[in-house]
Amino acid sequence: MWKTEATGIAHTEMAVRQCLPPCQIKCPINEDIQRTNVLISLLPDDPDLAKDGIIQISEYLYDKNPFFNICGYICGICELECNYLKKGGAIKRRLLKRFLSDVYTKHLRELGKFEIVKNKEKVAVIGGGPGGLMCAYHLSKRGYNVTIIEASNQLGGALWLVPDYRLPKDVLQTTVENLVRIAGIAVRYNIRLESGDLTLEKLKKEGFKAVFLATGLPYPRVLTFEGQSVEGQDLSGVMYGLNYLYEVSHGNIAPDYFKDKKVIVTGGGNVAFDVARSVKRQGGEVTIVCLECEDKDCKDGIPADEEEIRGAWEEGIRIVYSRGVRKIVGQNGKFKGINCPTCVSVFDEDGFNPKFDCTDCITLVGDILIITIGQAPDRPLLQKEDLLDERGRLDIDHLTLQSLSKPWVFIGGDVRKVGFMIEAMGEGLVAAESIDRYLRGVDMKEGRRRDYEAYEIPIRRDYKPEPEVPWMPPEDRMHFQLFEKGFTLKEAIEEGKRCVTCGPCLSCKACVSIGFQKSLSPVEVDVARCSGCGHCVYVCNYYSAHLISSGGKIVSATDMFRCKSCGMCVVACPSEARRMVDDNTAERIATVYSSLV
Amino acid sequence: MSEYEPKVVCFSCKFSWGYLVDEAVLSRKIEHWIPIICTGKIDTTHIMDAFEKGADGILILGCPEGDCHYQDGNYEVKKRVYLLRRILESMGIEKERSKIVFSSDPEGSRIPGLVKEMKEKLAKLGPRRRNALAGKMSQKEAIKTGGRK
Repeated sequence: MWKTEATGIAHTEMAVRQCLPPCQIKCPINEDIQRTNVLISLLPDDPDLAKDGIIQISEYLYDKNPFFNICGYICGICELECNYLKKGGAIKRRLLKRFLSDVYTKHLRELGKFEIVKNKEKVAVIGGGPGGLMCAYHLSKRGYNVTIIEASNQLGGALWLVPDYRLPKDVLQTTVENLVRIAGIAVRYNIRLESGDLTLEKLKKEGFKAVFLATGLPYPRVLTFEGQSVEGQDLSGVMYGLNYLYEVSHGNIAPDYFKDKKVIVTGGGNVAFDVARSVKRQGGEVTIVCLECEDKDCKDGIPADEEEIRGAWEEGIRIVYSRGVRKIVGQNGKFKGINCPTCVSVFDEDGFNPKFDCTDCITLVGDILIITIGQAPDRPLLQKEDLLDERGRLDIDHLTLQSLSKPWVFIGGDVRKVGFMIEAMGEGLVAAESIDRYLRGVDMKEGRRRDYEAYEIPIRRDYKPEPEVPWMPPEDRMHFQLFEKGFTLKEAIEEGKRCVTCGPCLSCKACVSIGFQKSLSPVEVDVARCSGCGHCVYVCNYYSAHLISSGGKIVSATDMFRCKSCGMCVVACPSEARRMVDDNTAERIATVYSSLV
Repeated sequence: MSEYEPKVVCFSCKFSWGYLVDEAVLSRKIEHWIPIICTGKIDTTHIMDAFEKGADGILILGCPEGDCHYQDGNYEVKKRVYLLRRILESMGIEKERSKIVFSSDPEGSRIPGLVKEMKEKLAKLGPRRRNALAGKMSQKEAIKTGGRK
């Protein structure tokens, strides 16, 4: 549809996909953030009337991301790249999704099964966490017969370890059980690969033509110091965060279990903060010790989210930065304290490689030590299945996630690279595409590597400050209920309006889909008329109108990816050199004017 | 004078006015209505043309301040209309004949009332001096061509 002078960027499909708003580039599944923000901003302000719209927007999101409602509680990765960050605060996209979730999660139960003709091959997905479920969902939608093999008795994987005060269990339960129902995915529970007689070969014999292995990181990482395991991790009173969160999630720990106890949590990631804040809610006095420093912008900055750190700080959790654990001190088999040297550097060129200054050492005394410094994969499983290379790393192609030794096996999610939920989901999506290509016998790599380009924030007179998000005061939130208040309809509409839609119209088309625009009208420049005065450049808020040199004269041009078809340059042009193609405004005006006579 | 009914051309931004109702339905309730994607897209010539074709007044309904989907379109039209009024006045078209309202009404139910209100004001003002514009046509042409003859 674009007919513009050849700037060389408006032609190919590849280029079309490469320009996105910065938030969507940050999102590993490139969720349609801008489009749905616009649609939210145009909801009716009556909650009953808005419900239909909310469900429509949600269905649009659900189609690509069946976890969007969970993202609304625990994922705000897109906000980190929002152009508005520097102009008053990122658009609160996470809360906008939580707002949708408040209506849509309940609605999921009423949703019918997708009508899919399942006429394609059998595919097995091992591990029912976010990565595995995402892969299964997308393969199932493409007509494959998918079976998830889950080691536990429930789907959702590590999401079950997120404390209730951040993600309510009923939201998670409703989401996962409806996901497999709606997408028509079979699940086998309580079956673990390589325990009992289930092997990948056996699955192959069963008729599965491809396997996605997303077994995550089921084991806690043990505490080490300068390459050696720190002694004393078997003392009474020492536990691992992963196991603790599992017990909390299953209701196995009494509400005041840590009353009058001094608890030390080691680790600086979000999981360590989940542990610390849960312990605090169970009565403990908590100190977090982490290798990283306080300044998040520094290369050795603490990896936990700012909101987590703020929350912990408000709740009275002490954080000791830039300290490692050299020694665990015990007495009569019981934990007593830790010996902490200063950590002078966490990362070097080779990655994680902490250096310590043992002349500056402090001792922290406590009753309980909870080690939460990361998780580890099920190595014996990967070894037995011959999926590792000679250096012990996963032997896969990192673009397609295909195993190099077993081409019908694909590996992704946390087991490949630890990350956020949405990153595992992104890998599930990649694996689904790879498996589809593999089974159709087409090129595995063609057109998949993409470099996305984003634009700066549009110019406007007034940028609005971010809304205040009310949290319950710390003294009132020492329980496992949600402490963050979600948006009301009015607040959601306001926040949707605040989004300045930095991305190209082609990736959004919200206005077209609701009939505001017939199409995205490109702006055409009549070079013969254009005098190169630059009025259009001045008036364009999107850096789309610009001046170029053409045939020995300066003329204006339009970057079609930045152009929003607002028509302001057309109006500003003193020589009528700009016009909008395919725009019916002039006809509408003419019709109305002819009725004046 | 009792049979004189002023004609008001009403432009309204689609992002703030009447977007929740069917345009065809609302069209029947509002005479001479032009929903537009952004009020910043309203050209001075559109306004001049309206008066030339026989409109008695122009009503522009834009987004609330700071809410323009295209960033500053509402401010742009405000600037444009304020500047244009000086010229219109020199042609005998009073400033009351152009009006801008920045607000939001997704149901569009307020639009007919706003048009009616403007019509009543214009009725008091009386009919436009029809020949005023004709005599000043050269000036209008000048605006259209950006000052070039």
